[in-house]
Amino acid sequence: MSHEQPAKKPVVFRGGGFAPRRIRWIGLAVFFVLIGLMEIGTQTGFITALTLPKPSDVFGTFVHLWESGLLWKHLLPSVTRLAVGATIGTIAGISLGISIGLFSYVRAGLVPLVAAIFPIPKIALLPLFVIWFGIDEGSKYALIALGTFTPTVVATYSAVDNVDRTLIRMGQSFGLSWRSIVLKIVLPGAMPGILSGLRVSLAIAIILLVAAEMLGAEYGVGAYILEAGSLYDLERLFAGVAILSVLGVGVSALVGLVETRLLGWRS
Amino acid sequence: MNYLDRRKLLGLLGVAVTLPLIVGPALAETKINVGALRFTSHAASFVAFERGYFADEGLDVEFKFFQAAQPMAVAIASGDADYGVTAISGGLVSLADKGAVKIIGGALSEEKGIDGQKILASDKAFQAGVTDPSKLDDKTFAITQSGSSFHYMASKIADKENVAISFKPLQKVGAIIGAVKSGQVDAWSIVPHIAKPLAKSGAVHIIGDVSDYIPDYQVTTVFTSADNAANKRAQTEAFLRAFSKGAADFNAALVDKTAGDAAAEDMVKLIHKYVYADRPYEKAKPSIVNGAMRINEGAAMNTASIQDQLDWFIGEDLVKDTVTFDTLVDTSYVKTY
Amino acid sequence: MDLQLEKICHSYGSLEVLSDVSLDIPAGKIVCVVGPSGCGKSTLLRIIGGLERPDSGRVVQIGEPPADSINPLTFVFQDFALLPWRSVRGNISLVLEDHGIRGERCDAIIDDVLARTKLSEFKKALPRQLSGGMKQRVAIARALAVNPAVMLMDEPLSALDSQTRELLMDDLISLWSRNPFTAVYVTHNLQEAVRLGHEIVVLSRRPGVIREIVAIDMPLSERTMGDAGLEAKQKYLWNLMREEAVAADKELISVP
Repeated sequence: MSHEQPAKKPVVFRGGGFAPRRIRWIGLAVFFVLIGLMEIGTQTGFITALTLPKPSDVFGTFVHLWESGLLWKHLLPSVTRLAVGATIGTIAGISLGISIGLFSYVRAGLVPLVAAIFPIPKIALLPLFVIWFGIDEGSKYALIALGTFTPTVVATYSAVDNVDRTLIRMGQSFGLSWRSIVLKIVLPGAMPGILSGLRVSLAIAIILLVAAEMLGAEYGVGAYILEAGSLYDLERLFAGVAILSVLGVGVSALVGLVETRLLGWRS
Repeated sequence: MNYLDRRKLLGLLGVAVTLPLIVGPALAETKINVGALRFTSHAASFVAFERGYFADEGLDVEFKFFQAAQPMAVAIASGDADYGVTAISGGLVSLADKGAVKIIGGALSEEKGIDGQKILASDKAFQAGVTDPSKLDDKTFAITQSGSSFHYMASKIADKENVAISFKPLQKVGAIIGAVKSGQVDAWSIVPHIAKPLAKSGAVHIIGDVSDYIPDYQVTTVFTSADNAANKRAQTEAFLRAFSKGAADFNAALVDKTAGDAAAEDMVKLIHKYVYADRPYEKAKPSIVNGAMRINEGAAMNTASIQDQLDWFIGEDLVKDTVTFDTLVDTSYVKTY
Repeated sequence: MDLQLEKICHSYGSLEVLSDVSLDIPAGKIVCVVGPSGCGKSTLLRIIGGLERPDSGRVVQIGEPPADSINPLTFVFQDFALLPWRSVRGNISLVLEDHGIRGERCDAIIDDVLARTKLSEFKKALPRQLSGGMKQRVAIARALAVNPAVMLMDEPLSALDSQTRELLMDDLISLWSRNPFTAVYVTHNLQEAVRLGHEIVVLSRRPGVIREIVAIDMPLSERTMGDAGLEAKQKYLWNLMREEAVAADKELISVP
């Protein structure tokens, strides 16, 4: 062996992976394959009518909703409730979050309170809200607002905490006013964290929409879903759930749009 | 061909296990699950169980208790319970349409002369002039959900009085009571044993009787899975016989009051085991007595009332217009009228 | 405007970081502060700039800053401290806006400082598009924009690779030669100190006291890489610091 040429062997490649790539259309394909399987299963009777509705019937229900104008009758109040509730909740949440981030007394006083409110299932408070804010829109706004408020507060103050302190020192060293430091350094610096918190809290808002429409709502996507559930009408149930999903995708896309506008400096 | 049918699969398994054991009468020790709510209106089943009528028929009954009629209907559709008593709701009709459940008999019904469901107005609405159902124009009416029996009653009342009301779905009876008491909704209709104590407290006022608007209303029915109705005739008949005996005892003791005070007392005690069990007997007794409405003799059912309810569900677009009476009801078991 | 440090003492809890530091910073000179890590040089700089309060002693200004000085004591930070969401122009206008300078006057100042730091064509670029050296040029341009009486430079070149550091040192020297400014320049890099400092203050560690002040008389513009006289000075400084640098290296980090 000693005088022979040592054998040549290529080094084994062991890198790669762990780097998510953006692959288009696969998500959509998975979605369509699942729907296709559901359709075949329900058409052949392999899946009973009690288990799942036919996707084509769900689509038919949706078309009926569209043509009868009922879609807007349900969607409009829901979107209004979402918009009003989530706006109140996030604006209040961001304001309080920033105050907690900036003032030690506010932090000491309110962080435990927020931590105590956070895990309360807001749905449990609905009957109370009905007494406080009335059975009409008030209690629905309040429920959605409270649901979005707590995650926004937590996301905002952690985001403020994570703003680079040297940037704040820089602002002070150039004699910037307190107001300017907050508006031009702290707020934009916390924006990425605030927006990712917004993604979560808006998803929560959509979840709470159904709960909010449990009490005293004649129209609304959530009321429609609840009604479908109590009627055991699976076609309507799935149509309603699909509308919520689309609403969720829409809201997420909206946040994405805001992110690309406000956070273009990042990537 | 339904391959994905849990009940059939379990049935097959059951057959495989019990085949070697079948000896003696066909119904010896047949285990069945009876779905029930802790309401006086479910008393017939409780009586049949406590007085051994089920056992006499060879039925080994186990009660499955539910918080609301809706999950009970779904449990019967899925095969987790065999028989139940419930109001006819849109959900029940939908499940029947899907071939899952069947109405086989009548239970609670409204009858002139016997205290039935009451129409209530909140104190606020009453003070504002809603003193009888004809004044309900433009008012809100509480219902649990669209397609519930409350929805049907409210709609019927509004039709007859020719008033426009708006429905407030509040999901649960508890939430409705809160909303009516605090004046958030104007009106509601409910069984007497809930209506009377509320009226006594002064927070609400009784402004009418449901029976004036829906005469001979078949409020609740006995129902089972479509499979039981079609394929387990002997078992189903046995159940209905025992149930009817229970109903007869109940009517005699508390509705017609022909059995004497002692029997009434015994009956209340029996029911108290299941209903208001968390309250002391003295407090529970009036509620149980107040809640006594006629349970149909022999589980007979009023097909005209059921047809009317079905027509209403279809008319309101709550169920598919293709649902027929025969899809919903199996009339081969009990007398109809 | 001169600065004078009078008996500055400072501790973090029980840890004394600066003890009895007195120093003159004459106008138009660059004073380098060197010392092993943990000797309190950055703390001293923050105290001079009013970002930290000394336990005792004080920093006094002698004479008034020039009338056109917008922010007399101006920092240049090691990690540049640029706002990543503002363009080069925006980062400079940030420090002018608050002093009421907007519009044409603001544009004129920005154009001037960008020209002086050779950044004119990057006016609209975002920090993430710039190399480390370019970022520090932007930070220097920003400091120049407020026309400081004294520049407080906290290891401004330490985050850069050695080639970039050379280029920037040349740039700083040409900036000073054209328009001499006063600066306190904190560094741990002795080569930078001997290239840029008129005076080099050597701090000892724990507590930081002034061990020696070394003056270098050679004009900045004549100092070149590899100059024998500068090499000798650098060696001399190293010998002063060596033992303490060894001790500093072996210590667990605890001071902020």
